[in-house]
Amino acid sequence: MNAMTIHKSIARGGSTLATALVVSAYLVLPGTSALAQEVVRSSPIAIVVHKDTDVENLSLAELRNIFLANQQFWSNRKRIVLLVRAPKSEERDFVLNTIYEMDEAQFRQYWIAKMFRAEVPRGPKIVFSTNMMLELVIAIPGSISFVSADEVTDDVRVIRVDGKLPSDPDYPLK
Amino acid sequence: MSRRQFLLDREYIKAGCKYWSDGRKAGTIQACAADFWLQNGERTMRKKARPHFPVLLIVGVLLAQDGFAETSAYGASVATSSPSLMQPEFNFMGFGDISYLSRDAGSSEGFAIGQAVAHLTASLDNSLRVFGEFSLTAKDNEFKAGVERFIVRYDFSDRFKLSGGRYHSPIGYWNSAFHHGAWLQTTISRPEMAKFGSKIIPIHFVGVLLEGSFPTSQLGLSYKAGFGNGRHENIAQPGDAGDINGDDAWMFQLNASPNRWFGLRTGIGYYSDTVSPSDRADIDEKTISAYVVWEKESPEFILEFMHSEHEFAANSSVSGDVDAWYVQFAYRLPGSKRQWKPYARYESTDVDDSDPLLGDQGLDYEAAIVGVRWDFSAYAALKAEYRNEEFDNGGKEDNFRVQVSFVLAKF
Repeated sequence: MNAMTIHKSIARGGSTLATALVVSAYLVLPGTSALAQEVVRSSPIAIVVHKDTDVENLSLAELRNIFLANQQFWSNRKRIVLLVRAPKSEERDFVLNTIYEMDEAQFRQYWIAKMFRAEVPRGPKIVFSTNMMLELVIAIPGSISFVSADEVTDDVRVIRVDGKLPSDPDYPLK
Repeated sequence: MSRRQFLLDREYIKAGCKYWSDGRKAGTIQACAADFWLQNGERTMRKKARPHFPVLLIVGVLLAQDGFAETSAYGASVATSSPSLMQPEFNFMGFGDISYLSRDAGSSEGFAIGQAVAHLTASLDNSLRVFGEFSLTAKDNEFKAGVERFIVRYDFSDRFKLSGGRYHSPIGYWNSAFHHGAWLQTTISRPEMAKFGSKIIPIHFVGVLLEGSFPTSQLGLSYKAGFGNGRHENIAQPGDAGDINGDDAWMFQLNASPNRWFGLRTGIGYYSDTVSPSDRADIDEKTISAYVVWEKESPEFILEFMHSEHEFAANSSVSGDVDAWYVQFAYRLPGSKRQWKPYARYESTDVDDSDPLLGDQGLDYEAAIVGVRWDFSAYAALKAEYRNEEFDNGGKEDNFRVQVSFVLAKF
């Protein structure tokens, strides 16, 4: 068997393998969601902003645009400062599932791509606890983040999502 | 030390910082944190009498950790006073790939190092950004260094961002979506119409670009409008040192990401230039492009099309068209198989023989590709791909490629 034949065999083998993978993927797993499971929470997620931020209500689509950094300025042209919980927090899992509609790997790739496209110079700030998150939102003008609704304090402003507060029955982030 | 401060310290140490929040260790980071407090904390504390100093110090250190005490989530400023205290923030990312090619024709096969790419970003102040992308590309027996992109941008608002420098031309989708990051793209290589060194579209462009978005609109509209140096006399390259014929290239692209269909992205664009190849008279070039992309991974879908018209500037009766397109489909498997992503692509390039710019370049091309991507690490992927290609002269080739691609990123 000469080298050319070997190469042809490899090419044919690769073709067969790849085709089989593609076909099996579509036959066996039709219509499955990108996210394996939904995150169920006992307390809704509240979207909180710095008290000086001039916003009362955001639609879920507007919120998504802010969290995706498609919108980087508030209406008063102040920079939006996005704070996101570190991996393995329940709140982060919920927000990734509900707002980003991504898993951790997709979330990471999204921000790396965003930076590589020169759309943002860096990803969101990562925060490691609810307390720290609240303190940062209190301290940083223009900041926005998310915390469990039962941990919100009076020092931050909770904004309505699609006109609803976390206590409302049809609040979208619960 | 109070229990509260102790807890804050503990949380911060967990975050990987080696500095205590009460300043027990002196250093540049602490100095930046103090600057932050002086500029922000004092005002905040006067108004609210809280949060207290250690918290602000933590805030400062958190922000200063990236070397820029006033940097926000996107590198934005949260204070504007005392610019002399600012320090630019630098971020680095690297991309690389190693490939193996086996083919049933031709002699060029075996292992190859793809491009080694460094991407640097810097925030010089509240609104001024610098982006650079630099590459080392393997040639026959050497590496060639190149500046792929170098951009200085001022952000006025979401709607107006003005920049100057060297870009990947905003023509279609792929060329300004994946750049030189092989890890970012699903497949091993770029489509033929957008491959680096392609003559089909001007891959690079040197000039100024005005861009912006209207994120609150239902259609999620965004735009890019630019003008600058068109192609060099070597038409695969831009005029890096100036437009060679004094007739600037200009381009416009309108994109939409409708809120209603999160994941859908579509756009149209127009590009115009007069090209002065080294071996023939000036040629007018006009290109329209369009794309539809479903950016989610289950499934992922990319359809891109471009149509170019070329005619001699002095004799419009000599003209020709180029049509190039591809469609790519991929699917990230669910559950425990999420590391796997099979994909397929078909692409075609059709150049009129009468085209005065590209008709004699042998660029007709068709290819069918099937492959699978395995994300065996959070920052690396192995791709295996079979490709059947047909070239301008009627020649055909089957080849099999394997590539390991990776990203070096602090995220």
